[in-house]
Amino acid sequence: MSGSDRLTSEHARRRGRRRLILRKVLGSILTLIFVLVFNFFLFRVVQTDPIGSLFRGRNVPAETLENLRTSFGLDKPIGTQFLFYLKETAQLNLGISYQTRQSVWDEIVVAIPPTVALVGVSAVLSAVIGTLGGVIAAWRRNTWKDQSITSGTMVFYSMPDFWLGMIMLVLFGVVLGWFPVGGMTDAGSNETGLALLLDELYHMFLPALTLTLAYLGEYTLVTRSSLLDVMGEDYLTVARAKGLRDVVVRNRHAVPNALLPVVTLTAINFGFVLSGAIAVETVFSWPGLGKATADAIRGPDLPMLQGLFLLFSAAVIFFNLIADITYSWLDPRVEEI
Amino acid sequence: MSLAMQRRRATAGRVWKQFRGSRQGMIGLSVLAIFIMMALAAPLLADVRELSPVYARAAGNPQWAPPGEFPPLGTDFIRRSVWAQFVWGSRVSLFVGLAATVLTILIGSIVGILSGFVGGRTDAILMRVTEWFLVIPFLPLAIVLASILGRSVWNIIFVIGITSWPSTARLVRAQVLTVKQRLFVDRARSLGGGGTHIVGHHILPNVSGLILANATLAVPISILTETTLSFLGLGDPTAASWGKMLEEAFVNGAMTRNAWWYFMPPGLGILAVVLAFTLIGRTLEEIANPRLGGR
Amino acid sequence: MKRIVVVLAAAVLAVSMVPIASAQEEGDLVTLRVGLTQDWDGLNPALNFSVPSYDVWNLHYATLTDKAADDFATIPGLAESWVVSDDGLTYTYTLREGLVWSDGEPLTAEDIAWNINTARDQGWDNMISTVQNLDATVIDERTVQITSSVPDPKLPTMDMYLVPKHIWEPIATDYDAATEYEAVDGVGSGPFILENFTKGQSVTMDVNPSYWGWEGEEPPYDRIVFQLFENPDAMVAALQQGELDVIHGFPAGSWDALEADPNIEVVSGLQGGFDQLAINGGALPDGQPHPALLDLEVRKAIFHGIDRAAVIEDLWYGHASEVEAISPSANPIWIPDIPEADSFTYDPDLANQILDDAGYLDTDGDGIREMPDGTNPIIIRHAVNTDGDLAPSIGELMVGWMEAIGIGVELEAYDQDTLYGVTAEGTYDTFFWGWVPFVDPDLMLYYFTAAELGNYNDSNWTDPTYEELYVEQNQELDPERRIEIVHEMLTIFHDAAVYLPMYLGPDLQAYRADTFEGWVKQPADIGPIVFSQTSPSYVLLTPVGGGAAGSDTNWLLWGGIAAGAVVLVGIFLASRRSGTKDERE
Repeated sequence: MSGSDRLTSEHARRRGRRRLILRKVLGSILTLIFVLVFNFFLFRVVQTDPIGSLFRGRNVPAETLENLRTSFGLDKPIGTQFLFYLKETAQLNLGISYQTRQSVWDEIVVAIPPTVALVGVSAVLSAVIGTLGGVIAAWRRNTWKDQSITSGTMVFYSMPDFWLGMIMLVLFGVVLGWFPVGGMTDAGSNETGLALLLDELYHMFLPALTLTLAYLGEYTLVTRSSLLDVMGEDYLTVARAKGLRDVVVRNRHAVPNALLPVVTLTAINFGFVLSGAIAVETVFSWPGLGKATADAIRGPDLPMLQGLFLLFSAAVIFFNLIADITYSWLDPRVEEI
Repeated sequence: MSLAMQRRRATAGRVWKQFRGSRQGMIGLSVLAIFIMMALAAPLLADVRELSPVYARAAGNPQWAPPGEFPPLGTDFIRRSVWAQFVWGSRVSLFVGLAATVLTILIGSIVGILSGFVGGRTDAILMRVTEWFLVIPFLPLAIVLASILGRSVWNIIFVIGITSWPSTARLVRAQVLTVKQRLFVDRARSLGGGGTHIVGHHILPNVSGLILANATLAVPISILTETTLSFLGLGDPTAASWGKMLEEAFVNGAMTRNAWWYFMPPGLGILAVVLAFTLIGRTLEEIANPRLGGR
Repeated sequence: MKRIVVVLAAAVLAVSMVPIASAQEEGDLVTLRVGLTQDWDGLNPALNFSVPSYDVWNLHYATLTDKAADDFATIPGLAESWVVSDDGLTYTYTLREGLVWSDGEPLTAEDIAWNINTARDQGWDNMISTVQNLDATVIDERTVQITSSVPDPKLPTMDMYLVPKHIWEPIATDYDAATEYEAVDGVGSGPFILENFTKGQSVTMDVNPSYWGWEGEEPPYDRIVFQLFENPDAMVAALQQGELDVIHGFPAGSWDALEADPNIEVVSGLQGGFDQLAINGGALPDGQPHPALLDLEVRKAIFHGIDRAAVIEDLWYGHASEVEAISPSANPIWIPDIPEADSFTYDPDLANQILDDAGYLDTDGDGIREMPDGTNPIIIRHAVNTDGDLAPSIGELMVGWMEAIGIGVELEAYDQDTLYGVTAEGTYDTFFWGWVPFVDPDLMLYYFTAAELGNYNDSNWTDPTYEELYVEQNQELDPERRIEIVHEMLTIFHDAAVYLPMYLGPDLQAYRADTFEGWVKQPADIGPIVFSQTSPSYVLLTPVGGGAAGSDTNWLLWGGIAAGAVVLVGIFLASRRSGTKDERE
């Protein structure tokens, strides 16, 4: 291949990639708009009178209600209302929570760090351990190692995550008393700095263990089947034939190629980080977005639920985009899909 | 017997033979058979009145009794037999799981077939919608819908169906496209068969295997979703599903009492059924797509 | 790849931990940690109603007169003394010297007069029955005169929470403005001042050194944190593990476990609280119940179908006691005796008989009775308060009880704030909720008058005789006669079969004996130690051994981290070992 040829193909590939990314970004924006429209209509369908429900049966003069309706733009045609809604949402004005009567956005913001910490740590741990397990299982295919890893992860994968959490809680919290049974810190604690961080980690242990075990299976199964695919390919046979040691073949050649789908899976799963632990956070009273969702269900606190739903959707859309882009960088074969 | 039917029978026979040869498939099938029999025979296994706390009290059941004291599975915080709840709960959980899957597969197949067969603008629009639904996080959407619709078994089924069809639609569409390429569709068309005829006689038989495998793998998701929704308090308050048992156990102090006989059975039940469906689904997948063998 | 993941993990940890760590920075304060399971509906003393809000106000706002811990007797508060005029209508109160608000502004007679007159003029929900006939005049900075237009048996007790005029006057321009105010300004006159309120989570209150009751002495501790628990079991565990000093409203099922703990004392505190199953009486023009419920016979039948003993035994584990009429006061003397014959004893056969006789028959054989004309099956909407610990179980029992008498039940779930709106609008047939009354029965009685329809009159019931008697007792100065009138009113209310008190429920509380001492019960011997009428415990508590003991569980943390590390190293080694084995092969 001559130099100029290479340049041209490189150039074309880069241009193709740029076009691909642009398309993906546009697609994501379109999806986000769809979610917004969906949310808007959901809101209209349920709440024939959003202002009236704001006061929940408290006697409020008709005049005040009318003024509020005007200020919320509810007397305008539906198109104008939608534009108004878009503007408000863009300014993160997601309405007022029924339960706390605070701005939904303010309520959500405080719940983000605990969730990102808990689910983030669990997602990383499960990705690492799960992938490792998948590599071992595939490499030792159909041995007792493979059998036990595969069936073990399948069992964890098949149980409700919160039930696993309940068992952890009873076993390590109630019966053995090794770990706290709920919350993010000791109730009413005054700790600061490192002591606080350690207290938070201590409280995080059981929920994080639960989520890690629950997420493991997916990574193990995907890694295993992807690696089995790669192992069937010719170049590995060639590599082995060249006399390379088994472990080198595995670590240098097979695994990196097999990890492509795992990377995508990880990126996609990060999108679900925010919404991933609704029931588990409830079991451990972990004050994150999941518990905020569970609390909002009890009202039901519809503005809160819709705000959370919007945030969860936005997170997934964003990380899907990241996954697509990462994939296109890692795998040169991907151009226009 | 028409030739087509004979051929289909032969295919079914071949699949069954292969399935019988698979250990994981047979384990899954046996476990599932046990639970289906339990669900069907519920009235023989436990008195439905045992589900009512008013009856349980009148019957003189003890409170929080461990299995040793009130065989086979003890009682809960309002004296109800856990065994009765477990048996009758299997009905609700299986029913919701299967009904939601039927709905999922129905919507998914219709969208997939329509999209793949008609093509053109219909395809573009349907696939756009499918992609949207694929991206929207599934559980939060189900929660929002269930909160709005209210708590009933039918709403739960509807919510699961409406939120989980997109992956089926994508799969079916891909398969329809492959089938469509094949010659015989063209031949059938040239012989003057209408659209419905082609779908009914050529497309459906060829995608039904895939739909079945997909359905088997969709049931676990439906069951787990029902369980989670019930646990979060969105389940039908009058239908004792396994998810609702777990919710009531959690809320009423079974954990601090270490009343394992209350929260272990429903969880194990879910685990067993979900695992059974997964094993069956994987086996069917392997049969449909032999390249996956040994995965 | 591995390296990337590790870096990612570290980044996630770092990013996520920093904001949590900095959000809760606090100094080294001696803190009383209180656990509870009921949320604050809000902290505006003019209209919020939840029990936890009252304890915040008890700490935040001093009152003109106080209540004795032992017997609720009226004792000096902000007022050190008072005199009554000869006609018994005018009371002149003298304030203590040097009273100030927590922001340093002087607290004067002007504040008190403004509170009384404004609450009356604007009709503040929580104060109106106290102040509706009162007029307050400032004599001088330390003297305020309160005149009642009618004889008032409640005086000289003036227990309304007094808000700072200098903060509230610009805000409380009318009823709407006053009641929409969040009231988290943090200016008060009580022993502890609101520092932070996060609804659904916690309230933090810091000691107010200028509170008159400290009498110039150093307050014994610095801070009170109220921590809300969604899950009552988690609260119990937190007390057992030493993360809390006192808990309120723990599940009755945990009583034995807590009692067995040598460091924990349990308290079953009675102060007149009861829970009721209410039927929509249909007094609102909108929000009508199922037509069958307008028939007294049907309501009676429903009440006869409810097994209250089952609730006391199974859900309260025997810790609640039976009661037939509602308890309007913390003092049981106000509860009337209902003759056995009129009591709603559990008797499903009788209930069925009543319904049969009244013509409500199951004409289509589906197990549910229809109206006498054969239409409109009797299916009632039972509202379940999702914030109540027992409400979901009661809902389930309700289905069973009603099934036995041929009435269908649909359960509808609401949180406590929404349920308030639902009762005010009347869009329900039955619901289960509770009250904790005050010392004087007047307010509780006032709730069931026509004036409170669409507000606290949550069974939407009115009765002309009841209304007349309400006014009569409101002005009756003879205590004996007043009790008689109240008994008559409550008997009328009972016989109307709209409000079935399920039991007198104690406040189940527990405290750690090794952290604070000096807990007092209000009233003496039988009452609760916190969340009582004035909650005197908070001011009288002292830390055991000079400082609150915390639990030392950090070694467990290190154990956990070590265990995690061992597991990780193990996995790593295992993978290495399999690697070396490969090489050997």
